[in-house]
Amino acid sequence: MSMLKTLLPSFALLRSRWLGCPLALMLTSTWALAQDKRWGPGEPASDYGDRFYDLFWLITILVSVAFALVVVLLVIPVLRDRARPGHRASFDHGKSLHDKRLTAIISIVTFIVLDAWVLVIAMKDLREAYWAIPDAKDPQTYRVEVLAQQWAWNFRATGVDGEFGTADDILTINELVVPLNRPVSFNMTSKDVIHALFLPEMRLKRDVNPGAINEAWFKPIKEGDFTILCAELCGFAHYQMYGKLVVLEQGQFNEWEAEASRLASTAFDADDTEAHWAWDWQE
Amino acid sequence: MSSDHIHPEPTTFLRKHVFSTDHKVIAKQFLWFGLIWLGIGGIMAMMLRWQLANPGVPVPLLGGLLFPRTGGVIDPASYNTLFTMHGTIMIFLGLTPAMIGALGNWCIPLMIGARDMIFPTLNMLSFWAMFAGGAVGFYSLFVPLGATEAGWTGYPTLSTTVGGVGQGETLWAIAVFLIGASSIMGGINYITTVIRLRAPGMSWMRLPLTVWGLFLTSILNVLFVPVIGSAMILLVLDRVFGTSFYVPASIMSGGTGGDPILYQHLFWIFGHPEVYILILPAWGVVCDLLSFFARKPAFGYRTSVGSMVVITVLSAVVYGHHMFTTGLSAMLGESFMLLTMIISVPAEVLFFNWLHTLWKGSLRLTTPMLFAMSVIFVFGLGGLTGIYLATIGTDIFLHDTYFVVGHFHLTMAASALFGTFGAVYFWFPKMFGRMMSEKLGKWHFWLSFVPLVIVFCIMFISGYAGMPRRYYDHTSVEYLRPLQHLNVATSVAAFLLGAAQLIFVFNFIKSRWWGKPAPQNPWDVGTLDWTIETPVPHYNFKTIPVVQCGPHEFSNPVLGPDTDWIYQTEKLPD
Repeated sequence: MSMLKTLLPSFALLRSRWLGCPLALMLTSTWALAQDKRWGPGEPASDYGDRFYDLFWLITILVSVAFALVVVLLVIPVLRDRARPGHRASFDHGKSLHDKRLTAIISIVTFIVLDAWVLVIAMKDLREAYWAIPDAKDPQTYRVEVLAQQWAWNFRATGVDGEFGTADDILTINELVVPLNRPVSFNMTSKDVIHALFLPEMRLKRDVNPGAINEAWFKPIKEGDFTILCAELCGFAHYQMYGKLVVLEQGQFNEWEAEASRLASTAFDADDTEAHWAWDWQE
Repeated sequence: MSSDHIHPEPTTFLRKHVFSTDHKVIAKQFLWFGLIWLGIGGIMAMMLRWQLANPGVPVPLLGGLLFPRTGGVIDPASYNTLFTMHGTIMIFLGLTPAMIGALGNWCIPLMIGARDMIFPTLNMLSFWAMFAGGAVGFYSLFVPLGATEAGWTGYPTLSTTVGGVGQGETLWAIAVFLIGASSIMGGINYITTVIRLRAPGMSWMRLPLTVWGLFLTSILNVLFVPVIGSAMILLVLDRVFGTSFYVPASIMSGGTGGDPILYQHLFWIFGHPEVYILILPAWGVVCDLLSFFARKPAFGYRTSVGSMVVITVLSAVVYGHHMFTTGLSAMLGESFMLLTMIISVPAEVLFFNWLHTLWKGSLRLTTPMLFAMSVIFVFGLGGLTGIYLATIGTDIFLHDTYFVVGHFHLTMAASALFGTFGAVYFWFPKMFGRMMSEKLGKWHFWLSFVPLVIVFCIMFISGYAGMPRRYYDHTSVEYLRPLQHLNVATSVAAFLLGAAQLIFVFNFIKSRWWGKPAPQNPWDVGTLDWTIETPVPHYNFKTIPVVQCGPHEFSNPVLGPDTDWIYQTEKLPD
């Protein structure tokens, strides 16, 4: 209780330049940073990319307030309660019913404000976006099988016939071409070690494990060239395991797909077991 | 209880200083061992930061010696080895011995009023198992094909023969196993000693909070270190005997079909409690030091103990948050997210109690106090940024970026390290009979604290900008190239941080042999360790003390105006 009573007048200390300024600076800079979507990989290019920023921004505000409180309560005693002749510390074990109530109230407030609030939004995001894998039977869904290896990304698309494991499958290495505004769904596995598919502009990251198939999806909402990275340590060339993601507008994409399928069929060699790694799509 | 717990003082050099069963000697062995390894791990960190700031530029001073084939440039494989060994060394060979080994051995018997640990021989074995682990780890740096490159987490299948056939990874697993055996032996000893050898009157609620922290850490050690031990055995079997616990059938023809994710579960069932294994003793020390130097009772002793117990329990059920991108089912992911978030509640109670302990105190800003207070700041930063990573929506992007690196360094590394520094500055006078220089100590503090916060806060920014960790060279990725100045700034601050540790080394060595002789109780603190003379005699206590009051009776009005503290062996005046 003593803490609450003395807290209010102590906020006068905040007006002192050397405490107030850094705090204000810290808060405004985190705010500015959280607001700036161009930082790093640039503005999100997938439809759920903005959800990351909304949540990041919310958490930043919440933890900044919490941290500012901690710093204020740490600095005030340093300024005010230093040992000096004639000064004696107050004697308080914090055992009173009042202190216990205060502890309980702060715990509940922490849980509701810091945890439950964020948790509810996060759950909603997971169900509506990140883990809402699109229906593979929907013709709108563009399916891609990913086979990672040290140190390259192999991509397989069905080609125009819509079936995996046929002669017109489009196989690409370190380059993936997808249509704009259609959900892209991945089935992923690895030949050797664990990798992780990281599409920074799309805010997508998912491990690619050997011996199992992992799913992930995103829906590109911007045309252009984007980055494909590996985010799980996979050996000494881990940092060089990058590729290019190309998002094409539907008309251009159809042209590209038809041409790529035709080329794939002409080069198809039924005896080349190395190239026939397709599997039945898993949901 | 402990009155007849006596073993004779050794007479030979070997039994006195090398294979000693005296907890005080073992504590010093652990301390020296831990500090030396912290130095080695720290030098590795400096080399990592050099490479990240100046990709492909030869390392000054050490480069030509360590990487002669490349003319002093760190090659990508060596870079992987460096960060793998940096992590392993700092956690298992640096902080574990310096924090748990040294502090636990020194504080537990002296603070509870015991003449030694309850199992002195086991205690000696604990140190030598750790030493053997360190020796194996060190040897692995020199085998053909080099030491492990699979990260300190050692995820299969990169850590199996699929990823590399050198002996380095096998030796790494054996080293971790030996160090784990050391931790289990220490843990059994600490738990039993605290339960059985408390002096008369030393009830559970009169234990210094340092002992509580060490006690709970020991419980986690005994419960969860065996899990990583078994994970390491399976890894060695996979590597050496051709089993396939972790190698799926689709890779090795004829394999029976193991699962690399099995390892991740085993590793993190241990790995998450490990975070608390390192931080709980630091929290205990911080609780005590804040009270000692604020000259106030530790606020809410019972709720602090309760919070630490709750965190100990919760630490066992949140490990899944390390695996959000692995491919957990939606239900598991959401459960682990909820459980992880709940940890913020007991943690918040600890912060509340720490800040309340300082409130209206009479603060003596000595070096140990500065380190203890900095833990509040550093752990506050680290703990709060944990919320971003506990939330799956933000973790998907931030996972395996520098955001994670900044977060866990502030929580488990920097907080545990600053707790250790506080403890070393605090108990040094009793340990070595001499005072450490306060002036150098304060220089050490400020030159460590400020660069440390800069280093890891910049990492939050680079992580937010999507900079992946464990990359040899970030300039190879187009969108990371404009962020290279962040790497340079981090490295400059890191070099300052590294250089500041030289002040500590100088202060430690100088004070150890040439420091001012320490009085019996330089800090005016009432716990049992300060009731005995310096240097501490072989049996610690001539007669086993009888404890009359709690450890934090500071500024109690009944003590009168002339003094603000009382020994635990004295009765509070009516």
